[in-house]
Amino acid sequence: MSDVRVALRVNGRAVEATVPARLGLADFLRDRLGLTGTHLGCEHGVCGACTVLLDGIAVRACLMFAAQAEGGDLWTIEGLHADGRIADLQEAMARHHGLQCGFCTPGFLVTAAELLAEGGRPSEQEVREALSGNVCRCTGYQGIVSAVLETARHRADRGDGPRDGEGAGRSLPAG
Amino acid sequence: MTAVGTPLPRREDARMLAGRGVFLADLAGPGTLHAAFLRSTRPHALIHGVETAAAAELPGVTAVLTAADLGAATVPLLTRPDERFVEAAAFAMRDPRLPCLATGRVRYVGEPIALVLAESRHVAEDALELIEVAYTDLEPVLDPALALGDDAPVLHPHLEDNLAARIACAFGDVAAGHAAAAVTVEETYRMGRHGGVPLECRGVMARPDRRTGRLEVWTSSQIPHQVRTAICAATGWPEDRVRVAVPDVGGGFGTKANVYGEEIAVAIAAERTGREVVWVEDRAEHLVAAAHGRDQVHRARLSVDAEGRILAWEDEFLVDVGAGSLWVAGIVANTAIHLAGPYRIPAFHVRGRAAFTNKTLVAQYRGAGRPEACFALERSLDHAARRLGLSPAKIRRRNLLTGDDLPYPVPLPYRDGVPISYDGADFAACLEDCLRLVPEAEVRRLRAEHPELAIGVGVACYVEATGRGPYESGRVGLTTSGDFAVATGAAAAGQGHETTLAQVAADALGVDVCRVRACGGDTDAVPYGVGTFASRSAVLAGSAVHEAAGRLRARARALAARLLDVPAEKLETEPDGFVLAGTGTRVSWRDLAAELAPGGRLELEPALDEPALFRPPTVTWTMGAHVAVAGVDPETGLVRVLRYGVAHEGGVEINPMIVDGQIKGGVAQGIGGALLEEYTYSDTGQPTSGTFADYLLPGTCEVPAVAVRHRHADTDRNPLNVRGVGESGTIAAYPALAQAVDDALGAGGPGVTATPITPSRVLALAEDVPARDAEAAA
Repeated sequence: MSDVRVALRVNGRAVEATVPARLGLADFLRDRLGLTGTHLGCEHGVCGACTVLLDGIAVRACLMFAAQAEGGDLWTIEGLHADGRIADLQEAMARHHGLQCGFCTPGFLVTAAELLAEGGRPSEQEVREALSGNVCRCTGYQGIVSAVLETARHRADRGDGPRDGEGAGRSLPAG
Repeated sequence: MTAVGTPLPRREDARMLAGRGVFLADLAGPGTLHAAFLRSTRPHALIHGVETAAAAELPGVTAVLTAADLGAATVPLLTRPDERFVEAAAFAMRDPRLPCLATGRVRYVGEPIALVLAESRHVAEDALELIEVAYTDLEPVLDPALALGDDAPVLHPHLEDNLAARIACAFGDVAAGHAAAAVTVEETYRMGRHGGVPLECRGVMARPDRRTGRLEVWTSSQIPHQVRTAICAATGWPEDRVRVAVPDVGGGFGTKANVYGEEIAVAIAAERTGREVVWVEDRAEHLVAAAHGRDQVHRARLSVDAEGRILAWEDEFLVDVGAGSLWVAGIVANTAIHLAGPYRIPAFHVRGRAAFTNKTLVAQYRGAGRPEACFALERSLDHAARRLGLSPAKIRRRNLLTGDDLPYPVPLPYRDGVPISYDGADFAACLEDCLRLVPEAEVRRLRAEHPELAIGVGVACYVEATGRGPYESGRVGLTTSGDFAVATGAAAAGQGHETTLAQVAADALGVDVCRVRACGGDTDAVPYGVGTFASRSAVLAGSAVHEAAGRLRARARALAARLLDVPAEKLETEPDGFVLAGTGTRVSWRDLAAELAPGGRLELEPALDEPALFRPPTVTWTMGAHVAVAGVDPETGLVRVLRYGVAHEGGVEINPMIVDGQIKGGVAQGIGGALLEEYTYSDTGQPTSGTFADYLLPGTCEVPAVAVRHRHADTDRNPLNVRGVGESGTIAAYPALAQAVDDALGAGGPGVTATPITPSRVLALAEDVPARDAEAAA
């Protein structure tokens, strides 16, 4: 089994490791780096629990090899939490009862972070569509949608524009 | 000081929102052996041999275990009804003696056969591919009705046939009711096979403690105490040798209110190897090997008079429990009992059977028989209403129990043997509240807004036995710092027990809720427990905690009185402790903690740590009504849920935010089951719903906002005056959506008779509408 070297930035810090070529990105984050906030719910790219930001774009860590993140700037829930950039969203999620068991929560927060970083005032339907790649089995989504809508509104009221380095990925050409 | 009744923010949220939850898959460390299960690829076959030598030789593999290594351990049944119920309902059930690992025969695709232990999951899975199983295929039994036929192959050779359970109960004169009917409707209703599908799959970790000789087991379960009992029953180990605890659990919904062979096998593997062993289920395994739910067929016959009043109600149902169900008693009994519904029914006759087939095991799934019963009864009412030209609301109004009827005795015993008495307030009023949640003007507005959709409205009612026994345990202790620790047998899987049970304890202690820490689901914290399922934890665990906290407070007051040398009656409670009436002399909780510590004046006293057990007299009933507005796309047959409302009659809401969340989340699962989710099999018995591309879950665009109206009804069946709510959102979603689709299509006759209401079923029904209308006119 061949090993490969991978170097990337994770939550703002440089990481270098030698990993088996077949090691998935989610397993790399969880087992090698101890970042267990990235959860595995289906391992075939449907449930969204393993969503992380790679170069500002929300991606599914279960569908990538660790080696594919080479050179990337990767953010997990732990990093987003620690640097405070989604503190308003986290607070709104708790207030709107947007989580019960909490297993899907990191994936939703990362996906929502990407949407919110674009700025603007998304409609409820736009929020629902942006979150449609994440599955929650507990809440019925209402609290999550309300929390994201409210956070977007508050940020827009404060005049926060799109943020550099995240979310901008959505407007980049594909590939 | 009342924490109960306030929408306190959840204690659990901070760690979950930071990605710091501790789930089963997060527990393994360096040196942990990773387990992978070899699973049957055949639905029904004899096993002649399992060749494991090559797998055992693979570098990185520690051991390969088969049934022989487990001493042919089987999983014990989890529930049997009370003898009084067994007699009254002619109930019988069979133990399929489910093996932990297959012994000589496999009965469903996904059944575990062998267990590989290796340095990593990757290596363990590599080794699985080196195991050879010699099968001789047997004829698969896939249709539960055919399974009960005389010439069906018998799945479990120690039994004479494939009957898993049967039940029959009746009251009133059904024949006379049918004879006097203005309208009798008869139809077959099917509810598809689906299940909880928690977002976190199952998982187990076990570790022998070499110092104590005990085995510690962590499992993603709703019922750790029952897992311990099963491990010990299967192995013969004494119960005090095994600790079972739960970490954070990523959803359960009944799927994890089950004991699985994998839990026992991993425990034995750890014991055998002397190593820490972890098994983390993946989704491909989960969809074929974690318990399924529902899958019932009902042949129903309802007779009503010219005003739509029920005269006689008859139902014969059949449950497909796959290769077996540890909960067959619960499922069959729940179905039969809940067929009585929230209505005045003078004559009732129900017969039910459960059959073994070559499909995955079945367990309870949110509602566990209640949604199936509700679907048959509510659909029959809608059918009868159409025949009489009544609206769905009107036929229900004429039958729902009112404040004049309640409390209402149903002449059947509940599963606990106690005669059923609905302890509700006014079911008819609850329906009216529900209808107000979606005014007609709103429906007209939606029709104008969505000319591309056919839009219909459905309403359905349910009644639910909640808070069932036999008991739950609780424990409240004063910590060395003068704060409070609460433990119970009720393990949480997202229900927020750390918050709600702290609220209950805080009020019973008379202290601020921030001083109380609650956790559940550890057999070392409370020796006995039942678990979290069947809308029972607020009622049972809540009451046990309430009792324990009350005892602790009384003992503390006596100790405080001793310290002050005054009679206890002179001490009043205040948030910090106790105060001598009319003086400023106080004994705080922190003072008590200090006095109980070595060197204190109470150092010889037993700690302030009070256990309690709550055993309810019987269940308490929750009633509710659902209203759904559905838009049907006539081109594709896709159903969109446009509006949804639930009014329910419950008890005191310990935390109204969490109650609301239970109902809304329950509706989402009801929508999934009604429209999308189904475990399917090919006609050779191969599962054909092995990914989330085939087994469809409702997402943000499928579940609308849900309006909830809470109506309070007192109950004297527990000291907190609470009722269960965990299943209220799910039970009536199926018939409410079915009627909404019928209404949208203008369907005559029985309309939707099967779930999930897939686009192909909708299109077939739409095509059938003119034919049915003509038939009705003829």
